[in-house]
Amino acid sequence: MSPSSTPTTEAPGVAPGGSIRVRIRRFDPSVDAAPRFESYEVPRTRLMRVLDVLDHVHEALGVDLGYRWLCTSKKCGTCAVNVNGSPVLACWEEAQDGMTIEPIGNMPVVRDLVTSRDGYEATLAAVAPQLQRREEYPGFPEPLAADDFAPSVHLRDCIQCLACQSVCPVIAQKDAGFAGPAVLVALAELALDPRDGAARGATAGSVAKVFSCVSCYECERVCPAEIPIVSEAIEPLKRLATAQGHVAGARRAAAFLAVVKERGFADGARVAFQLNGLTLRALRLGLRLFRRGKADILGAWRARRAPGADSVRRTYEHGEGSP
Amino acid sequence: MIESVDTDVLVIGGGAAGTNAALKAADKGARVAVVVKGLMGKSGCSIFASHLPYHDTSTEQKGHDRLRYSVRYYNHYLTDQDYCLRMGKYMRTEFFPDLEKLGVYWRRGEDGRLMATATRTPTIVSHKQGASGVIIMDKRRRAILGRGIPVHEECAATGLLQDGGQGGGRIVGATLLDLKSGRFFAVRAKAVVLATGHSDYLATRSTGTREQSADGIAMALRAGAETANLEIQWWHISDVLEPRSWMRYHLYPNPLLGTEETSRLYNQAGEMFYEQRTHSPASSAPYVEQIRRLAREVMAGKARWDGGYWSGYDHIPAETIMAYQHQAKIWGKLGLDVGKDRIECGITMHMRQGGIDVDTQRMTTSLPGLYLAGGIGSHYLGGVGPVSYDGKVAGEAAAEEALGRPDAPLPAGAVADEEKRVFGFLQAGPAGPDAVRPIAAKLRIREIMWELGYVKNEAKLNAALDGLLQVRAEMVPRFRLESASRAWNTGWQDALDVAAMLDACEATVRSGLLRKESRGPFFRDDYPFVDNETWLCKTLLRREGGEWRSRTAPIPTPHLKPEKLREPFFDADY
Repeated sequence: MSPSSTPTTEAPGVAPGGSIRVRIRRFDPSVDAAPRFESYEVPRTRLMRVLDVLDHVHEALGVDLGYRWLCTSKKCGTCAVNVNGSPVLACWEEAQDGMTIEPIGNMPVVRDLVTSRDGYEATLAAVAPQLQRREEYPGFPEPLAADDFAPSVHLRDCIQCLACQSVCPVIAQKDAGFAGPAVLVALAELALDPRDGAARGATAGSVAKVFSCVSCYECERVCPAEIPIVSEAIEPLKRLATAQGHVAGARRAAAFLAVVKERGFADGARVAFQLNGLTLRALRLGLRLFRRGKADILGAWRARRAPGADSVRRTYEHGEGSP
Repeated sequence: MIESVDTDVLVIGGGAAGTNAALKAADKGARVAVVVKGLMGKSGCSIFASHLPYHDTSTEQKGHDRLRYSVRYYNHYLTDQDYCLRMGKYMRTEFFPDLEKLGVYWRRGEDGRLMATATRTPTIVSHKQGASGVIIMDKRRRAILGRGIPVHEECAATGLLQDGGQGGGRIVGATLLDLKSGRFFAVRAKAVVLATGHSDYLATRSTGTREQSADGIAMALRAGAETANLEIQWWHISDVLEPRSWMRYHLYPNPLLGTEETSRLYNQAGEMFYEQRTHSPASSAPYVEQIRRLAREVMAGKARWDGGYWSGYDHIPAETIMAYQHQAKIWGKLGLDVGKDRIECGITMHMRQGGIDVDTQRMTTSLPGLYLAGGIGSHYLGGVGPVSYDGKVAGEAAAEEALGRPDAPLPAGAVADEEKRVFGFLQAGPAGPDAVRPIAAKLRIREIMWELGYVKNEAKLNAALDGLLQVRAEMVPRFRLESASRAWNTGWQDALDVAAMLDACEATVRSGLLRKESRGPFFRDDYPFVDNETWLCKTLLRREGGEWRSRTAPIPTPHLKPEKLREPFFDADY
């Protein structure tokens, strides 16, 4: 029988013994020159969450720690912090001894663990504001089937905690103009809505820059709502953008696909040359990679092909020919 | 130099009431601004909405069931019955269509029809039971941002501005403090809609969230408004006990969507003492009956208020729960099996039925220019549907008034006084015998209200009052913060919260001392009977020159009357 289903007579909140030490990154941009870490000792309570630790530092130790929380039940998505380098919801994850708590990445710090959501909100407003009906609303309840919403069922679990945005390596490259996984989840939910009539493919390709996604799956790894972000939001949007002809941002994807089709394997150096051309910068990078054995730049210019290349090409042609 | 912005209608609060007030006022052509202490649609109580009453009044019987539920089981006759009828019509004809128009997906069954819970007062959900509020509020948020309505988020309204001096004149705006930057400014408005909700974090265990410190009650009281029935305070009993921060995880007692099943509550001996389908079949919000049954267990030594009893779904196939209950995943997170294990619970202070006294026709108050929407009012318990109705009525009425009025000058003296009050708390100093961190006072207030608890009497109410006065006299003057930074200074926020909490809690306790009976969620063991002869009325309080003034006023019962004038509290079925 598990602890919670065993009747106990102990008062709640009583430490099962001992305490834990945590390190928290403190930073007040209005006065501090640089962030610093402070260490706190916190009594361990039963089933203690990361948020319980932050509450203790604030409430019992009287520290004016900046941290954000609202619902404490995985609904509001405002308490995400990095624990040992990875974003989690403070209200959801269990506290660990020795953990380091920091603000989530890819957004400015307001104070300590509080980060600014402004960038995300502005992008969301530009990319996926709301449903645009293809036909006039017919009145309640409108004729809909449960199946109509099956493709986007997991997307509706998003609570906008921004854990995914905080780990996205493409967002970190600020010049990419990439909207980010959380915004794309919202966009995909609209795009997959049978009632929606807006040109979501155009938005996905040209405004949200969906093709900048490198499919690294970091967003899925950290999503507390366990949303299959790449396969159920980003890939459907890429397909939609392609189908609607908005592939301007798909230069990388197109080059990658073309090289695989031609050579039967992902010849990284060839893709790089196709994308960047023969510039001095590309040559320098290529040489560096070549010396470390990471890119065969000479091979990229040879018309080499993998043993199964014909079969790969046939697969392509089959796919391209299908309706 | 006072920084100020102008608008026609200022909405204070970003939950279901405030967002609808903003949208409806904007529909009327008014310039609208919204101020939210948390994040619009994410803070407050609306996000917790699980399942929504579908006001099916297609037959006379169904219409009667619906009204009876609102009046008797939800408000214990302490409501405006004509308001209930108007609100019911809105629910049927506008609430669900408005949200569906915005894109909310109301759950359909395999046959394409709406899935409703199998009760006499059916409810429907968006997406999953337990997630409706998240989805509804997200759509409202996007509608407001999409229309370009200015929203000041993580910004606290600290006081209402009045012409002709504080404490009586017309409401002409509010002062705001941006919690992220410490920027203090005034909003000049021709009408103000107060929509700060009904779930405040005033007791050690509360469903109220971080930002909810009864600011609306405190601001309205300071401006001279009258409170009504503040003592009628609901409690949840099936909220998770541990971890501590999960006190707002609610293990729903209502029927599972698409089934007739409900969760069950068990005492220390493993005896089942509550399930909705058996013990409150007429009510789909059975909290009042739940806590009465728990009270019997506590009195018999078979449970405590903070634990020693359990909630579970182990009599239902796990797949059924996973299909509809958003919150079922918590079993897994705690390493438990939802089909087998039970979770220990504690009570939490939940919504307040009372609030600021309001005329429901146009949601006006005794202060000209001040409108109310939602749980901050004293007219109805709440719920995202009813408070959306309030938002519509208040937003439209405020817009109509504002569009017909000239600009009022900003009361510069009042703004400067309020700035002095707010920045008076921003004093840093080392901890020591002469220094109190504001969080200590906050925790003490919550402890006082928790100790007052569910079972009240004259002595306990007086002890609570003494405790609050002691915090005010001995702790507040010694407040020193850890730092004087203006950027998200948690200590500064706590100090401002404490000031509001003290006003609201004191009024609540005084209101409890006035009511000499027990009713609904309000239980006094020195008056353990429902007394419809004397106490089917409002307990009203206001402050005048530092003195409390109280009175009572009868509540009309034009459509439904209680059958018995007087009956033992534990025998009444409402």
